[in-house]
Amino acid sequence: MANAPQPAPKSRRTLIVAVVSAVLVVALGVVAVVATRKDSSSSDPTDVSAVSIETGDVTVTGAELVRPPDAPAIDPAIGAKAPALNGLGFDGSPVSITPGERPTIVMFVAHWCPHCQREVPQVVKWLAAGVAKGVDMKAVATSTDAKLPNYPPSSWLAGEGFTVPTLVDSTESTAASAYGLDAFPYFVAVDAKGYVTKRMAGELTEAQFTDLVAAAKA
Amino acid sequence: MSIDTVTLFFALLAIALQVAVVALMLSAAAGRSVRSAVVDTIGPIALWAAAAIATVCMAGSLYLSEVAKFTPCKLCWYQRIAMYSSAFLLVIAAARRDGAVRRFVGPLVVIGGLISGYHVLLERFPHLESGACDPANPCSLIWFEKFGYITIPVMALTGFAGVIAALLIHRAWAGVGSPASSPSQESRHG
Repeated sequence: MANAPQPAPKSRRTLIVAVVSAVLVVALGVVAVVATRKDSSSSDPTDVSAVSIETGDVTVTGAELVRPPDAPAIDPAIGAKAPALNGLGFDGSPVSITPGERPTIVMFVAHWCPHCQREVPQVVKWLAAGVAKGVDMKAVATSTDAKLPNYPPSSWLAGEGFTVPTLVDSTESTAASAYGLDAFPYFVAVDAKGYVTKRMAGELTEAQFTDLVAAAKA
Repeated sequence: MSIDTVTLFFALLAIALQVAVVALMLSAAAGRSVRSAVVDTIGPIALWAAAAIATVCMAGSLYLSEVAKFTPCKLCWYQRIAMYSSAFLLVIAAARRDGAVRRFVGPLVVIGGLISGYHVLLERFPHLESGACDPANPCSLIWFEKFGYITIPVMALTGFAGVIAALLIHRAWAGVGSPASSPSQESRHG
């Protein structure tokens, strides 16, 4: 037989390794239970409902925009009237996105999206530098989910110094659907008459953001 | 038991396995006597160890998707294909003491490990996937992170590395007593 009887010390070592491994697994389980029990005695850090609103009902007035085409093509939403959005901000005060008053850029962000996490500080920098002068900047915090990372969006955006008026989207992402969102971050330029002039998704460069501003002013 | 407790447990298991894999790599680079001692000690239970690692990974991934409700992305599914099938094959092979399973599971876990490695890179460098997030479920989304680096793909990569290490040890051990050149010969080894 190929599997010849092993000398006793080897068998003992094998048994010891197996037993030690099993004991280690049990010990790690105990460590996990004890470590998280301490956490559960304190308040849930994600429970910020008392101080801020992370999702809320949104009222859409006007026709929804179609989603951008998959392949590079002329965006069918260009020239369409952008719908108005009414809802709440993180502090519970009303926030409206009312196209047709001034050139506007509407930015949609999701707290868990790594690209949004990288883009928001850039937008903060560009706004501080006056890149969007003459254009109203509005934001929508959408796709919010307490289970996902970087929750809540209110803390994230405040931490980034993002002072743009921000509407909280509903749990069904009503506002995002109304603007045809297909990726994060998502930007929609709306001119002073309320018509969509440009839509872009993904992390923008300063030049692309400047183009967006110019499109809103057009 | 909370999701946080379970994910911490999986993270601790992953760290323990990482330590074990690194220790095995060091022993492989050490002298012949150390290498032989490791092979002789772990070899007899290497198939069971590989089966246990793959089964725990499978159970963990099912827990994360079905209980914790962390939706698997496209790359997660590819890794699941490799890990789940490996788990079934390894358990059967360990019970039958059939070392020939290495030939079937080996490629599976290597491919799975490569996908996990790419997934880990995507988490750190989301631009590799695209410049925007798919609202449905981007592969660059980090569902949770423990100890500053343990994420779901890191745990999967660790699991694949553990299975590969166990299979290599079994290969070395099976070659000690006999040439083990055919499945029928290898099947005698546990």
